[in-house]
Parts: sequence; C-alpha cells; structure tokens
Amino acid sequence: MVVTWATLRRSWLVTRRAYPWTYFIGNLLLGVFTVSLAYLGLQILGRGEVSAEFRGKSGTADYLGYVAVGAAALMFVKHCILWTGKAMIQEQREGTMGALIVAPARRMPYLLGFSLFSFSAVALEVVALLGCAALFGVRLEPTGWGDGVLAVAGLGLAVFGMSVVLSNVMIVAGEAHITQNSVFYAIALLSGFTFPREYLPEVLQWLGEVVPVTAAMDVVRGVFTVGTGVDAGRFTTAVLIGLLYTTAGFLAMPWAERRAMERSY
Amino acid sequence: MIETVNLRKQFGTKVAVDGLNLAIPTGRVTGLLGLNGAGKTTTIKILTTLLRQTSGTVRIGGLDPVRRPHAVRKRINLIAGGERMVYARMTGRENLWYFGQLYDIPGKVLQPRIGELLELVGLTKAADTRVEQYSRGMTQRLSIARGLVNDPDYLLLDEPTLGLDAPIARDLRKVVAELAERGKGVLLTSHYLAEVEQLCKHVYVIGDGRHLAAGTPAELMALTGCHRTVRVTVTGLTPEVEAAALAFDPAVRVRPGGVIELSHPGDVAGALTTTIIEAGGTLGGLEIAEPSLEDAILALSDRPALAVVA
Repeated sequence: MVVTWATLRRSWLVTRRAYPWTYFIGNLLLGVFTVSLAYLGLQILGRGEVSAEFRGKSGTADYLGYVAVGAAALMFVKHCILWTGKAMIQEQREGTMGALIVAPARRMPYLLGFSLFSFSAVALEVVALLGCAALFGVRLEPTGWGDGVLAVAGLGLAVFGMSVVLSNVMIVAGEAHITQNSVFYAIALLSGFTFPREYLPEVLQWLGEVVPVTAAMDVVRGVFTVGTGVDAGRFTTAVLIGLLYTTAGFLAMPWAERRAMERSY
Repeated sequence: MIETVNLRKQFGTKVAVDGLNLAIPTGRVTGLLGLNGAGKTTTIKILTTLLRQTSGTVRIGGLDPVRRPHAVRKRINLIAGGERMVYARMTGRENLWYFGQLYDIPGKVLQPRIGELLELVGLTKAADTRVEQYSRGMTQRLSIARGLVNDPDYLLLDEPTLGLDAPIARDLRKVVAELAERGKGVLLTSHYLAEVEQLCKHVYVIGDGRHLAAGTPAELMALTGCHRTVRVTVTGLTPEVEAAALAFDPAVRVRPGGVIELSHPGDVAGALTTTIIEAGGTLGGLEIAEPSLEDAILALSDRPALAVVA
C-alpha cells in the first residue's frame, strides 16, 4: 500500500505541474463533443426519434443516454490505459526505468497507484461530462448504487488487466502511440461504447469477447442504460477475463522489462 | 560478497560478456575497467537484476538474483553517470521521498536520511526546486543521493562522476571510500583512471567481454611492463654528455631542449643524473613520471588475455 499511495501522490504532483488544466479540459471536450454530435445527429437525421431496430438491439429508446454512458465509459477506459498502461514506457522515456526496476517495489502496487490516480482524475471528468449531458436532457439512473459500484468495479478490473498487458507490449515494442491508438479503435468498434454490438457481423461480436471491457460494458449498460441491473453471467465473465489478463500481464512483466532493458544495448 | 562464475551474456549473435569470474567483497572498492564496449555496463546491469545472464551464476550476498530478485534489490543500488534516473517534474526532496517509499524505508528513518543525502551532494538549497530546473551536474548529484537512499550493502557505480564538477566529484570519492570502510561492497567503473587508482584496492580489466587481467593498480602496471619515465634537462648539452647517457642505457632518448629521457622499470633517476654530472653536464631540471593505470589498460587491451595476478 505504501508504494500505491506514494505513486498516487507522485502522479497528482506531476500531472498538476505538467498539465495544470489543459489535460482535464481536453478530455472533457472530447466527451462533450461526442454527446453534442449524437444530439445533432438524432435531431437532424432521426428527427428526435430512434428506430425500432436500435431500440431492439440496445434495449432503450434513450439514444442520448446511451451515447453519454458510452462516452463516459470510453473516457474512463482511455484514461486508465493512458496512465496505467503507459506508466512503464513513460519511465523508459524519462530515463527512470532502471532506477525503478532496481528498487524492490513490486509492480502490482506501483500500477495500482497509477490506476487509483486515473480513477480519481477521470471521476471528475465523468461527473463534468454527465453534467453537460444533463443539459441535453440526459438523466443517469442506475438500477441501484450497489449495482453501479459493481459495474464500475468490473470495468475498472477489466481495463486494469488490459493496461498491464499493454504496458508489456509498449515497453517491448518501445512505442506507445500505435499500440494505444490501435486498442482505442478496437474497443470503440468491438466493445459497445457508442453503438450496440448487435449491429456488428457475428465474427466481430465474437472477436469483441476477447477484449475484457466488452463484457464489463454489457454490465454497465444493464445498470445505467437498459435498467435490467447486473447481469451475473456477464459480470463473472468480465471479472474472469480481467483477472486472466492481469495474471498473464504480471507473469510476463519481468520478461518484458528485461527485453526493454536489452533493447538499449 | 558478490560473486560471478563463468558469467556470459549474449545479445543475438553478439557476445557482450564472455566467461567472467568476479569477486566483489564487502569493505572494499573493486574496479571494473576496459575500453568502450568491453562489457562493463552489461556486467553491472546483470549484477543489478536489470538484465539476466545467458549462462553462468551470480550470487549477491549469497542470493541468486534470478530466483530472488526482490531480496537482492533490497541490498543493492545503482548509480549510473550517463543516465538521469530521477523524475524531472519532481523536486529533489520529492524524488528522494518517492524512492524511499519504493524501498519501503520507514518515515522516521527516511526523513533525516533525505536531509543528510541532500547535504552530502550539496543540494540542500535546491531541495525544493524541480529537477527540470537543475543543471546536469545537479541532476547527477541527485541521482547519487538516490543511489544511497536505501543504505545499500552493495553499491554499483557506473561512471558515477561523469559530468560532475571537481569539488563534488572529490566529495563523492570520499563518500565511496567511507562506504567501503563501513563494510559496503562497491564496484566502480570509471573513465577517470586516477579515480580508480585512488579508490580501488583491486581492479578487473576486461576487453570484448572477456577477462584480461586482475590485481591491484600497481600489480597491473607491473604486469603490463609500464615503466617510470625519468626526464633530465641538461643545460648546454654536449656530445660527451649525450654519449655518456647512451652508454648508461641504450634506451635513452635525447629530446629537443636538452632533455634526456629514459623509461625503465627500476629507479634509475639517481644513477642517470650522476652519470650526466660526471660527464660534465649541468643539471637544469629533473622530472620523474610514474606509470599510469591508463597506460596499463591500453596495453592490456592491445594484447591477448593475461594470467590472473591475484
């Protein structure tokens, strides 16, 4: 816990100094634009109505609410990947990776520190985004606070597992940009953030199942959008895949770190 | 004690370290020398768990770094002169605090230690300034403080004084010597060979990843046949004096300005000047240049592996 809290504190110190407000504003604008574009699209193309097909596939007629929850969740996921997944490659770029590896601190509490930071930072942004969405008439009504906590926790575990694996990929490849953007495009397409996955061909729907956040997003939809509560099966799937990614990521991490160190020789 | 037996590291087809046997006891500064690309940094990275050897064994205080890396990391630290190893957007004090947390050092121990280390490296006044505003030398000094934050049993120094001002480098050498006196095991690589001569009781010389020689700096110089050079300046040098000097030793060289020079393994300064005076020469000056470790390293790197001295 000492390392987790120290890393959380360090992340806040560094972020406040590096991006006093710009980072927060940039993330917020992305979410606001997403909801605004959805609103304009709904008004211009759908004359304020969604099709029966959309209602059937999404389980709701509230298109803006659907998009707002998806945009907030995507913001949450991207933020976690950008901080937790990129933590090690940032150390590599800053020249501190050697000092970090030589220290006896375990990588789990270290990355949890970054996750706690990203959770706390993105929480403010999500609240602001949903506040803006409320101006468009969006009302967030979870099926229960317990359900809400479970849904967010499932999404948090899923994205943590992804971040640990991505951290290894980034330091071994020595690059973050292509890796992170590929992942962002993949999850935006496959995981049901901005449109129901049922619109995708069946093969892509199955492909989406290997992404941990897909099952977690189904739980989020059930709690925050559709009103059916926590789907125990999908929640279990999200937790199991999240744990699988987390375990595999930490098992491979010593190898990835050595490969990263070797690349500079 | 840090020990390696037949240590080998290969990157693809390139062999960086090839069969090194090292012994780095506590209570002593041990040098690891060689030209660029000799395998010094790779060896240090293996000893600090940053890299894993291809074959051979490493023991650090009896622990195997491959099997118990975290236990080893509690007992070691690394100071690398060529790398920053501290966070630019944090202050010096914040950096030491954060690394103290990574080593799980209790607050009661850490707080006074941070003050002591900042004092040691001359950064007390800049303790609350962000590292991004430090000069290169200041950053390097903070990196040294970071390397000492866990009070390691074994300290591995890879060019630690690179880029440091002379007074700070001198203070660091003093600290390193004191650490060894307090029972720490120190391994040092440095391009400043005077530093190695001053600090190291035992030196390993490697080339192309292989062991070339080992011993005290004096033993290495003797092993390579590096000689002391005597230069006698003669006022009004005559052919008779020149002939007498050449008769004394055919290896004598006569340089412009009336300088008679002789490199010899023994102490010949007295005998040579006596010969010159007896031949009618007037002594204008006398200089005795001791052989340097640099000469020895260059000589060793130019020849095949020699037998171990010690």
